[in-house]
Amino acid sequence: MAKIELYNITKKFGNITALDNINFEVQDKEFFVLFGPAGAGKTTILKTIAGIEFPDKGEVRINDKNVNMVEPAKRDISMVFENYALYPHLTVYDNIASPMRSPLHKQDEETVKKEVHRVASMMKIDHLLDRLPSQVSNGQRQRTALGRCLVRDPNVFLMDEPIAHLDAKLRHFMRAELKEMQSEFDTTTIYVTHDYMEALSLGDRIAIINEGKILQIGTGDEVYLTPANEFVAKFMGEPEINIFDIELEDETQVKMLGQERSYTIEEDVAEVIKEGEHKNIRIGLRGNDIAFSFNKENEEYIKGQVYSVEPIGNKTILVVDVNGQLLRLIAPNDLQANIDDEIFVRIKMKKAMFFDGDDYKYIYRHNQNELLGVE
Amino acid sequence: MMKNRLMDLLKNVSAYTVICLYSIFAIFPLIWLVIISFKSDTQMYNTTFIFTPTLDNYKIVLFEGADYIQAFINNIIVSGGAVLLSLLVGVPAAYAFARYNFAKKEDLAFTILSFKFAPEILVILPLFMIYQKIGLYDTYFGLIWVYQLITLPLLIWVLRGYFEEISVEVEQAANLDGYPWYSVFWKILVPLIKPGLVASSLLAFIFAWNSFTFPLLLSGFQIETVTVAALRYIGSDTVHYGQMAVAAAVAALPEVVLALIIQKHLVRGLSFGAVKG
Repeated sequence: MAKIELYNITKKFGNITALDNINFEVQDKEFFVLFGPAGAGKTTILKTIAGIEFPDKGEVRINDKNVNMVEPAKRDISMVFENYALYPHLTVYDNIASPMRSPLHKQDEETVKKEVHRVASMMKIDHLLDRLPSQVSNGQRQRTALGRCLVRDPNVFLMDEPIAHLDAKLRHFMRAELKEMQSEFDTTTIYVTHDYMEALSLGDRIAIINEGKILQIGTGDEVYLTPANEFVAKFMGEPEINIFDIELEDETQVKMLGQERSYTIEEDVAEVIKEGEHKNIRIGLRGNDIAFSFNKENEEYIKGQVYSVEPIGNKTILVVDVNGQLLRLIAPNDLQANIDDEIFVRIKMKKAMFFDGDDYKYIYRHNQNELLGVE
Repeated sequence: MMKNRLMDLLKNVSAYTVICLYSIFAIFPLIWLVIISFKSDTQMYNTTFIFTPTLDNYKIVLFEGADYIQAFINNIIVSGGAVLLSLLVGVPAAYAFARYNFAKKEDLAFTILSFKFAPEILVILPLFMIYQKIGLYDTYFGLIWVYQLITLPLLIWVLRGYFEEISVEVEQAANLDGYPWYSVFWKILVPLIKPGLVASSLLAFIFAWNSFTFPLLLSGFQIETVTVAALRYIGSDTVHYGQMAVAAAVAALPEVVLALIIQKHLVRGLSFGAVKG
C-alpha cells in the first residue's frame, strides 16, 4: 500500500543519459505501466525505485517519505527481473520461499509451505517445486520469478516484463490473471512492458517513455486516442498508424494524397488548427479509420493498388499504395485480393488525428472531449 | 564391414599404446622414487629392481635425526596460512574485479596475474634484503606473505570468472527479498562460486606446498619446509638418496590424497568459470 513519486530523476551511465528528468506519481493501489521501446530507460526507472540504481539527481518518495538514502531491502519492494534472477542453486520451492525466510520478512516454515503452494498453484508450477531453475523452461522460470515476487505483501510490486517470455496462449492467460490479482491484492504495481496490448489491457495509467524521457502519461484511452506526438501514435497499435502530410487550402479545406479534389476537416478541428497557427499539418489514421472497396462507390473514394496482403488470423493487414503513399489498413480475414489489384480507399475524416508537421506534436481530433469522456 | 571393424580395432590399439606409453613416462619417476626409498645406501647403485627392501630410510627420516616432522608441520602452516590469507584477500578482490568499474582495472588485474610470470629467483634478492631489514626473515608470516605471489593471482583470476558469471540481478533480487549484504554473500554467492573456490584453493595449496626457492632463501633454520628439508640428505661426503626419496614421497602424500579426493571438482571447477555463457 503505497504512493510512489519520482521528482526530476536524472541518471547517466558515462556519457549516456539513461533517464532525463523523469517526473511521475503513482497513486496507492494503482496499476501503472511503463511502456516504451528497448533501451528507453524503463528498467532503470524500476531499479531506481527499488534502490539498486542511484539517481544522479532527483528524489524518490514512497508514501511521501524521501527514500533516496534507504537501502533496497528496507524499502519493502518486491520485484520481478526481466532475466528472472532466480537463485541457480536453489529449487523452485526455495526460490519462492526465499523472501519469507529472509531476516526482514521472516515467517514460520508452516506459513512458508502454505504460501509457496498457494503461489505455485496460481502460477501453475506446483509440479516443478523440487526442480532447479536450470531444469525448467524459460516460461516456467519466469513464472517462478513472478511467484517469488507475489508471495510477499510489499509496498509496491515492480514487474519488469514479467510475462514477455511466455508463449502466446499462456501470456494471454497470465495477463488476465495479473489483472485479476491486482484488484485482489490491492497493492500498487509498476509494470514495464514493450507490448502495447499488455499496456492497454493492464494499466490504469500508462507512461510512454523513449530515450529516457516521458512522452506522455495517461489512461489507455488517452494515449491511444490522443497520443502526445507521432512517436506515441506509432508505438501504440498494430498495424502502425498511417501518418502523412496534408495541405491546408483554407480553414476547412485540405488536399491530400495527390488528389484533385479537396477534403473537409471537421469544424472543431479546423478551429483548433487556426487558433494554434499551425502551418504544416499531418494527418494520422489508424488501420480501422480507412474504409476500402473494390469499386469506386462515391466521390470520396481514392484509387490505389494493393501493395501487400498479410493475413494474421482473425484479420488481414492490407497495404494499399496511393500515389506513392503506403496506407496500412485492417480488413476482414476472408478478404480476397491480389497484389496490384485496383482498390479504392476512403479516409474517415471524423476519426483522424492531426499532428503539427514541424514538431510532430499532437494537435487535435474531432470530438476529442466526448471521446475521452471529459467536459 | 570387415574393413570398418579392422579400422576400429587399429584405432583402439594405437590409442591404448599411446596412453600406455604416456602413463609409463608420467608414472615411472614416481615408481622409481618409491623403489629407492626402500633401498639401503649400499644397494643404491648396484641394484635396479631386485634388492632387499628395508624400512631403515623411513625410520631415519621420520623418527631419528633431523626434524623432518617439524618441517612437515611448518609446511602445513605456511601453505595453509597462505591459502587462507589469499582467500581472505582474493575473494573480495575477485568480486571487485568482476563487479565494479574503476580506473586502471584491467591493468591492476594484469599486474596481479603477472606475479606469476616473474621467475622467483629474479625477485628473491631484493626480497631477501627487505626481509632482513624489516625482520620478516625466517618467520611464518614472512613466508605466508611471499607465498601470496603464488596463491593470490590464481585465486583471483579463477574466482573473478565465477563472479562474472553470476548476474548482478541475482544479488539485487536477494537484496530486495530482504537479505542484508553479508547474507547475500554467504547464502547466494558462496554456494555459487564453491566449485571454483575449492579447486583454486587446492591448486594454490599445492603450488605453495611445492615452493622451493622462497623458503630456501627467505627462511633459515627456524622455519624449514619439507622441500628445503629434503636437501639435508645431501651430506658433505655422500648423498643419501634413499632418505631423500622418503622425504619427497612423504611430502607428496598430502597432495596426492587431496587431489584424489576432489579430482572431479578440480577439473570442472577450473574449466567451468572460464567459459562465458
